[in-house]
Amino acid sequence: MASQDNQLLSLFSAAEVEFLAEDELINIVPSVRMDTLHMICGDYGPFRPQIPAQVPLWLGVALKKRGKCRIQPPDWMTVEKLTQVLEDEREAPREFQPLPFHYVEISRLLFDHSQDDISDFYLIRSLVEDVRDVRFHKVEKGLETLSGRTHAVKLKNLSAMEVNLIRPFIVKALESFYKHDSEDLVKQVDSERDSQLAAADRLPRRTLRPR
Amino acid sequence: MARYYDFDDILMEEEPVSVVFRVAADGVGLLDPSSEDNNVEAGAKVDLPAWLAQELFQRQAVLVNLPTFYGQKLRKEIQADPGCVDLRSRCPYFYELGCKLSPITSDPTLGAFLLSTLRGRYKDLLCKSHSAAVAFTPQYMNLLTKEETQMLEAGRNSMKAFKKWRLQGARIERAAVLGRKRRQNT
Repeated sequence: MASQDNQLLSLFSAAEVEFLAEDELINIVPSVRMDTLHMICGDYGPFRPQIPAQVPLWLGVALKKRGKCRIQPPDWMTVEKLTQVLEDEREAPREFQPLPFHYVEISRLLFDHSQDDISDFYLIRSLVEDVRDVRFHKVEKGLETLSGRTHAVKLKNLSAMEVNLIRPFIVKALESFYKHDSEDLVKQVDSERDSQLAAADRLPRRTLRPR
Repeated sequence: MARYYDFDDILMEEEPVSVVFRVAADGVGLLDPSSEDNNVEAGAKVDLPAWLAQELFQRQAVLVNLPTFYGQKLRKEIQADPGCVDLRSRCPYFYELGCKLSPITSDPTLGAFLLSTLRGRYKDLLCKSHSAAVAFTPQYMNLLTKEETQMLEAGRNSMKAFKKWRLQGARIERAAVLGRKRRQNT
């Protein structure tokens, strides 16, 4: 599926994740009059000038490219909201703030195609980058706690692109830890501790971030 | 359980392991370079590939000694600083071979030692695989075993792909055919 070397591990390439993100709905303000568009995924419109309408991102971008609409940035894409999110991210080192599942892709598409519709474009772009960096750093910090006997990792509120980014490494690491921590390899030494653990929980889960 | 078609698995089984014969074997003198006739005597110390050592052990013909890179000296080195030990030059299939040998040797601590080694080296791997994608670090790569290299590459490749996606310009590329000028008919 993905056009990368490591086909087994990375299920999606970045472009494919972006493709999925294009189905998110977004508000546009048309500047032309147009009848309802009948698409396989649904009907959109009719479009009247200056009357906001809700369309998928791909349609919005396509219309914007032809100069037929203005894209309204989503609610979370304002300086105040993003500053707040960034602060919260920094203050809570153990959890992620709820952001749209596709915020990385949406922001990139909007930055590319409708710069002029976003007020404070440069500020917002750097804020999104900062948020992403802080979150990624947090993921790395969390992954450091990975060691033997980790059978599942829980990451709440992580976005699609972030998951996709760390997936290959995490899968590999968990695989090798699982292999080396299997019962028959380690049990001879600390069989005592193991049996205690096994009695408590056969497959203990390590929560990377608490709820 | 060996994976039959796994290339790395095949290579790993080629690693020499020193064994001591418990029984005398006739007609296999080529295994022991020091034997004068065509036989291997009981008690002879011979280096055999891992796959053969395992088979002979199951038939109770040999005792398996651990290779030197699982010995006390290296264990101390790894205890001191797991990240800086050059495992590749010792055995590129350090972990896999260890897993294979662990059930057939008399050393019960091998499994735990492998796990603690991996645990110690994992943190370095983690940080290098995602943050140092720009500054390539060839010296560090030379220290890693095959398994660790795969892990590092997995992280690094996905990071590279993401950066490329983030910085690329036009998404839809024009087919080369379309760019060509149409030939004039006149």
